[in-house]
Amino acid sequence: MQATTTRRTGSHKADPITLGLIRNYLSSVADEMANTVIRTAYSTIVRDCMDFSTALCDKNGQTVAQGVTIPVHLGSVPTALGHTIKRFEGNIHPGDVFIMNDPFQGGIHIPDIFVFKPVFHENRLMGYSTAVSHHLDLGGRVPGSAACDNTEIFHDGLRIPPLKLYDRGVPSEAIFQLLEKNIRVPVQTLGDLRSNLSALRTGEKGLLSLAERYGLDDLEMYFAELLDYTEAMVRAEIRSWPDGEYTFTDYLDDDGVDAGEIAIEVKMTVEDDCLTVDFTGTSPQVKGGINSPYAFTISCCGYAVRSIMQADIPNTSGLFRPIRIIAPAGTILNPVMPAASGMRGVVGFRLADALFGALAKIVPHKIPAAGEGGNSLIIIGGYNRERKPFIMFDLIAGTWGARPNKDGIDGLTNPGSVISNIPVELMELDYPVRVEQYALTKDTGGAGKYRGGLAIARDWRYVGDGPANLTIRSDRREHTPYGLYGGHNGAPSWNIVNPGAEEERTLRTMVTDTLQPGDVIRHIQPGAGGWGEPLERDIESVEQDVLNDKVSIAKAEELYGVVIDDEKLTADRERTERERSARRSEAGQAQRSANGGVRR
Amino acid sequence: MRLGIDIGGTFTDIVYVGDDGEVATRKVLSSPDDYSRSIRESLPGMFDERAVSGAALREVIHGTTVATNAILEQRGANTALITTKGFRDVLELRRIRMPELYNWHWDKPPDLVERRLRFEVPERINAHGGVLTPLDHDAAASVIDQIASLGVESIAICLINSYVNPAHEELLARMIAERHPRISVSVSSEILREVKEYERTATTVVNAYVAPIVGRYVDSLSQSLRDLNVRAPLMIMQSNGGVMTARESSRRPVYMIESGPAAGVIAAHDLVSRQGIPNAITLDMGGTTAKASIIEDGALSTAAEYEVGSSLSLVSRLIKGGGHLIRVPAIDVAEVGAGGGSIAWLDEGQALNIGPHSAGASPGPVCYDQGGTETTNTDANLVLGYINPEGLVGGGLQLDRSKAQQCVERQIAAPLGMSLLEAAYGIHLLANSNMTRAVRAVSTERGRDVRNFALIAFGGAGPLHACEMGLALGMKEAVIPPYPGLFSAFGLLSADIEHHYVQTYFKKTREADLEQLNATINRIEKHIVGLLTSQGFSENEIDLHCYADMRYSGQSYELTIPVGSTRLSSDAIGRLEDAYDAEHEKTYGHKGGEGEDYTFVNFRLIGRVARKSSTVAPSQNGFKPRQAGRRQAYFGPDHGLVDTAVLSRGDLEADPREGPLLIDEYDSTTVVPPGCSAWVDAHGNIRIGLRAP
Repeated sequence: MQATTTRRTGSHKADPITLGLIRNYLSSVADEMANTVIRTAYSTIVRDCMDFSTALCDKNGQTVAQGVTIPVHLGSVPTALGHTIKRFEGNIHPGDVFIMNDPFQGGIHIPDIFVFKPVFHENRLMGYSTAVSHHLDLGGRVPGSAACDNTEIFHDGLRIPPLKLYDRGVPSEAIFQLLEKNIRVPVQTLGDLRSNLSALRTGEKGLLSLAERYGLDDLEMYFAELLDYTEAMVRAEIRSWPDGEYTFTDYLDDDGVDAGEIAIEVKMTVEDDCLTVDFTGTSPQVKGGINSPYAFTISCCGYAVRSIMQADIPNTSGLFRPIRIIAPAGTILNPVMPAASGMRGVVGFRLADALFGALAKIVPHKIPAAGEGGNSLIIIGGYNRERKPFIMFDLIAGTWGARPNKDGIDGLTNPGSVISNIPVELMELDYPVRVEQYALTKDTGGAGKYRGGLAIARDWRYVGDGPANLTIRSDRREHTPYGLYGGHNGAPSWNIVNPGAEEERTLRTMVTDTLQPGDVIRHIQPGAGGWGEPLERDIESVEQDVLNDKVSIAKAEELYGVVIDDEKLTADRERTERERSARRSEAGQAQRSANGGVRR
Repeated sequence: MRLGIDIGGTFTDIVYVGDDGEVATRKVLSSPDDYSRSIRESLPGMFDERAVSGAALREVIHGTTVATNAILEQRGANTALITTKGFRDVLELRRIRMPELYNWHWDKPPDLVERRLRFEVPERINAHGGVLTPLDHDAAASVIDQIASLGVESIAICLINSYVNPAHEELLARMIAERHPRISVSVSSEILREVKEYERTATTVVNAYVAPIVGRYVDSLSQSLRDLNVRAPLMIMQSNGGVMTARESSRRPVYMIESGPAAGVIAAHDLVSRQGIPNAITLDMGGTTAKASIIEDGALSTAAEYEVGSSLSLVSRLIKGGGHLIRVPAIDVAEVGAGGGSIAWLDEGQALNIGPHSAGASPGPVCYDQGGTETTNTDANLVLGYINPEGLVGGGLQLDRSKAQQCVERQIAAPLGMSLLEAAYGIHLLANSNMTRAVRAVSTERGRDVRNFALIAFGGAGPLHACEMGLALGMKEAVIPPYPGLFSAFGLLSADIEHHYVQTYFKKTREADLEQLNATINRIEKHIVGLLTSQGFSENEIDLHCYADMRYSGQSYELTIPVGSTRLSSDAIGRLEDAYDAEHEKTYGHKGGEGEDYTFVNFRLIGRVARKSSTVAPSQNGFKPRQAGRRQAYFGPDHGLVDTAVLSRGDLEADPREGPLLIDEYDSTTVVPPGCSAWVDAHGNIRIGLRAP
């Protein structure tokens, strides 16, 4: 079919050039979808932080292209769409748009609403245009919906099973009305939803123009080829790893409700070109709202494994074919009713940290030490004097662990979540806050041959006219980001109200609290882990860090054995060599194993 | 008599146009150690040849990559930054986002101002312009003296909320001028008076970083011209396609970073205006990159921000972060790594890729036989029979066809199990598909349907790829201007004198105070008119255009709406709201909900002085017919190898001639595939009707 509009694809055999063309085209369409969202969204979390994702799927719901958006969202699209397709099998029509967020039916937490548009070419289903955004608020217990001390799904807000938001082009008044009446800031949330629907149309147009150019039969073959090609490249990568079992355990400090650490235990088994990721032994689900829905667990596994592979593998569902994931039901990585999961991001990031820890034993030359451990959320919300709601939703990210051949990057998003920051000047125009600091913090990066990234600090002064609700999600105060191969751990995170003032108080890592007008809340993220022995760091790099005020003179000597002349701010080479050789002989092997992380 | 000088990384192009319309051109190698040298050395010969003196020149317009190169090669001034207490790291933290998925090897570009040279002063202004903490004079003085003691040549000042109240920035600038008058100062509220601290800081820092270098360059070039008895003022093309005086360019060099690429688009804009082509995509394909821009309803498209110094850039916000952000108006040019010298390679999955690495001018493509070993796009085009095997630039550069065949065969065809021609054709198509990304970035990403646009292709490699790429995008016409390789230098002669100013006015439209708004616009208007009159233009020559950046309240991105007059009447705001709805719908496919609020973000004013002399179009003169030849050329599996007519531009007539055709010229070859047909218009442009066979 479509012979008249098909050029140069007479044969039904995939040729690598056409495959490349289609792949390029799909990626640029997915990026166009994302641009549509950014430019038309209303909430800071979507438009400035860019906490949303876009993807294109084939008719079976398999991802064939991703926008340059959040990796930990993207791997969940096939699961979420899969549940939706199953629910509506035989009842999928042109003009339909599906909506869902239910974490127990393929969703990844209440605030992330998926929308899917089936795309039909000449009345034949050819694929899905998909988008997911983190919405500012979906009702529930606290402004912003998610809170670590939510203890059941019903606290998290409005739960949407797979539904038709549009039925053959007709909008569902019922759903729109229900949404509007159950959320705190409908203008923003509905505006964001419109921006997502607009992106779906962009994706639909892109898919249709491909069908017109290549014909649907050929196109379906190329979609299949793209998935196979990804699978083949992933298998080739896994085959290059040594067979065996590799374990690692990382921890969260607590869940914001009960005291006590939470273990993420992983065993990775490499067998020829297959990988099994087994989380048996991981902590049971918790009361606090940080449980990771199964779809999110899968997505985070996909992100961790994908991120250490070469950059030019197409980002499709083919990634998951050689990977088997075992997450026992009832654990924090596959919770059952009525687990709350609004703040599950932190568990997803820890899961990835655990996987990287195990991977560091498989492919040590590829794995960085632990980064900040996921972005921190600070939500200040309430009502002003006129009873108008405001929700300031800030995401603080991130800093990189040291890599096996270079330093971690100071102040850069975790690659699992390529979000952006909110400009201070916009925040001060939009919300009753004043930002008094946004900076890197000296001496917080884990020491090592390669230094871990420095922690980011931000101070907000609340300047509204009544008490406001404060929600914080952070972690890594007790269990700091690990260093690797002798590198030290990064510094712990902190939440401090009114720092330096008489009424200064330190808050827990996961907390819901109240701010009075004039209060300052300071959040300092964790620093990232270092890689390799600090005594092996070259002296010039330590000098540069001191000059740039990233490492203090005292710490240069204490951690790196580099003696800095405090007048000239240069290293005293002679004393440094003496200091370093003395320490090497006395410390030897003992220090190496004491630093946690992975042993050789 | 007018002179256009376009200095690029490899070549310096000079175009001379006499009062009689006579055209003379020079293409000489650039001299990166002292860019003005190549001009000093070539101009006397050109003047002698025409028997004219420098004094007879009325205009000298210059496009340059000096500022871009200073950034790319990290050879800018030793620069310091002064910021508000608590915000030392705004520059380094950027917008925090990495622009790629899944890449642990990625790095931020090195900061133009290292942390040790970023200093804080105690002061604070709130979001509405009120002073919360007055500037601490003593602390500021000591910071300034400390900076001076570090041998800093240039200082950028960017304080939080200075866009609404610049008093503290201005005070700091005065203090520096008093205490250390030799240090160059760039003030954020003067460079870019706009909300968002990172964008304003980054832009001001780039300005500070290149200001001393551009200042010296412009001085040296002006002196060289004076030595040649040239009295016409030196004008520099800005990134937005307007020109400014050399003096202004050394104060605000951040406005001329993309001077070079802008010239090509300006030339294309001039061409389409003359031909009455309302909608066009420009494609400037050189040795290393291809640059695309869009002309719609006869108007250039400008971008509010872009990045310099990333290896390659696209307009897409999604992949920003690889370079240094500059938020000044620029012609919206998307650039990808697909040029003549781009290298073709196979990845581990045996998929074919091309670029972004380029063999450049040295060692160059394999067929140049100057030491190149990796297959390039040019090698593929030679194998396909597209490029004249007798050599480029009229035989000045010999090509070795058998070497090209060997490398394509060995490196691409054999591993893929394809024939030589299929592989070469694959490389050609893949280069097209990469360029397609640049074209899409400036068109479909903004909702524009390229099928209704003509493709204006130039640069050395543009005419080779124009037709196939246009066809792949569903376009209907390609236009190849005369002198495609020197086209950008012609563009310099088509530019207007132009100054842009922006002022943030952040208010909901229904809360806007008309009087205050008019006062704001009036203030920028006075500033621009003052600037232009001080440059010797009279007030009645100045054309003013006013624009409003608007959004729905709550959105973060603006669309720019023409205001029409610099004095708003009472019904103007309602009309702007309607215009915004229409533009939003056109761009994104939907408009706001009922009872939607609108917000003004910025007002922009452009002061323009139209160029005095009429446009110079290279005419058909000089394109002489020559003996037609034939060459075997490959046009894909459907057509195979075709015995193809080879002609010159002068052989074409006003009646379309059916492809396949190859049109060889001094600096390029135009490929007209089967099914397409070519003719030449009254201005010497090759016009090609694109039709899939």
